[in-house]
Amino acid sequence: MQPIRYVDALNDYYTSMGNPPYRWTVNESAPLHRPNKPLTQCTVSLLTSGGVSQCSMPAFNPDAKNDHRLDAIERDVDGQDFQIHDSYYDHSDADRDINCIFPLDRLHELAAGGEIGNVSPRLWSGFMGRIYNRSKVMEESGPAFAAALKEDQVDILVAAPS
Amino acid sequence: MGLVCRLLEERGIATVYIATGRDLTELVKPPRALFVNHPMGNNFGHAGDDRTQSDILRAALAMIHTTELGGELIDYPTTWDENFSFAPGGKVIAATA
Repeated sequence: MQPIRYVDALNDYYTSMGNPPYRWTVNESAPLHRPNKPLTQCTVSLLTSGGVSQCSMPAFNPDAKNDHRLDAIERDVDGQDFQIHDSYYDHSDADRDINCIFPLDRLHELAAGGEIGNVSPRLWSGFMGRIYNRSKVMEESGPAFAAALKEDQVDILVAAPS
Repeated sequence: MGLVCRLLEERGIATVYIATGRDLTELVKPPRALFVNHPMGNNFGHAGDDRTQSDILRAALAMIHTTELGGELIDYPTTWDENFSFAPGGKVIAATA
């Protein structure tokens, strides 16, 4: 099956919702940092943008725009302790098994088997809202996230958008 | 989220992005991306399919040290078991088989 053309679909959808045309970011190159130690010694964290929150936390707003909310999730969280609120994708599988979008159990297994060094103390859920004010990502929410990851001595972030 | 990955990489944190939207990923160009042609919401596979979830996670983590140029996008070899579509807000966009 050919990949779905999301750009066209989302352009149509945003316009039909009465939103201004979405200005997609287009980059011609990308930065790259390679850790100077093997995977077996790296601390790894996870990020989902799928509207995932712990049951004790408020639900994400599925229709939010410019939502920079970012929840920290303790690494030993019970995989059943999640709720998903997002209207942009079918999360029926992820409702039953959070590892479909946020593979925390699989990451713990890799750590237990010695394939990675550690699971970071905190895992992350956020950046889900249709973010039009990208400068705030680059100047505020992104740097704050980087500082939190540094605090946890994270070497690698596995990021799964939904 | 791709923008966040780019920012983190500039600050010394390696990232890998597991995408179900190939065209979106090509535009934003995160430092490392593994494209998985699954429905959005199934980046790592089906519920209860631990083996596939682990395989995709391993394939993503392998890119951390093998990627030599920022912006690399690799296609994970996979076939979803049925055609799927994307329906934001209930509007169905038919997929091409």
